[in-house]
Amino acid sequence: MQATKQSSGWHLRDVIMLTLIAIFFGFIFWVWAFAYDAVAATPLKPFANDITLGAWIMAGPLAGYLLRKAGASFLGEFLAAFAEMIIGSQWGVSTLLSGLIQGIGGELGFALTGYKVWNGLSLVLSTLTSTIVTFGYDLYANGYASYSFGMLVTLFIIRFISIGFFGGVLVAAITKLIDKSGILNR
Amino acid sequence: MNASIKIAVALLISLEISFTKSISLNIALIICAIIYLLFKRVNWKLMLYSILLPILPAFGSWSSLYFYGTGDHVHMAFVLLTRIFAYIWIGSCFTFTTNIDDLLKSLEQNFRLPNTFVYGVLAAFNFLPRIAQEVKTIRLAARMRGEVLHFYSPQIFFKAILTSFNWSNNLAQAMRSHGFAEGKRRTHYHIIKIPKWNWLVAASILIAVQVFLFMSPFH
Repeated sequence: MQATKQSSGWHLRDVIMLTLIAIFFGFIFWVWAFAYDAVAATPLKPFANDITLGAWIMAGPLAGYLLRKAGASFLGEFLAAFAEMIIGSQWGVSTLLSGLIQGIGGELGFALTGYKVWNGLSLVLSTLTSTIVTFGYDLYANGYASYSFGMLVTLFIIRFISIGFFGGVLVAAITKLIDKSGILNR
Repeated sequence: MNASIKIAVALLISLEISFTKSISLNIALIICAIIYLLFKRVNWKLMLYSILLPILPAFGSWSSLYFYGTGDHVHMAFVLLTRIFAYIWIGSCFTFTTNIDDLLKSLEQNFRLPNTFVYGVLAAFNFLPRIAQEVKTIRLAARMRGEVLHFYSPQIFFKAILTSFNWSNNLAQAMRSHGFAEGKRRTHYHIIKIPKWNWLVAASILIAVQVFLFMSPFH
């Protein structure tokens, strides 16, 4: 296929693919939000938030892993949040803010490896930075600063497990299927 | 109002209320947003949707802080309750009055977003209804083989990625064959300009929020 040279290294096909994946994820997230509500309507909300959070950060690590470019993880996550907002999210414009924060969190992990390592290690790093960055944001935005220290530690661990499962284990399983199918020809 | 400016103002305000703890500011923002939407004659069904949608998460946030919080938690519980409604209504001011075409065109012409991104994203967003259909098809196809796919099954994401991969190849080729050239200058039939009053209104809204925050009787 003919490719034009561009400084960012982003081609039309990459952009379309990233956006399509983001919309697919946005759609799947949107369905998932209703599952979250069942628990979130009760005082168990903070746990619901942290148990389910992993599902929302999946688009980032996956996009980073698929496209292997600087900024892919951030853009994938941000576009997924944008798609979710357009479809009609119950969090309104804060969806976009969360996408921004989660995108930065996921991207940091890949950035730490200098965009040279694309394996389990970079995924683990990405899940770790996602957990830390999103938790830091929730201290303010979701009033987590009002919880006791013990509660915060519990929530942090739950969140890391959730992000580890969705952004780590599940993403690794998906990429394994992709690698086996050979569509990326690397 | 210009779409990019509108979304920038909405984002800045919501970023600010993520960090402030003023109940009165949140309520004032909700009222302003409702007035704006009424003025724009938005469909009442959409308005109703915006009222009903955040009730569950807002109540959840309120109750969890109320029961588990420490310190100033009762105040924070109400801050969060109003904040979630403010997020939704500010978001609605953008999503119910603007479409993605306007936003992308404005980002391209007024803020020099590279056209690869503008038209790539636009092309993909036009597939939104087909994507909703595709997710259903993937689940139905699996059920015919006796498999039930959940949102945590790698297969559903794998199939979604395969589809995205195929469609993006086809779309990119189709766009090139219709004369789309990456990184080349384009001429525009529909030229978007940002009138001065847009900047003035945006600045006034942001200043008004700060003044209100400073003057509000109880924090």
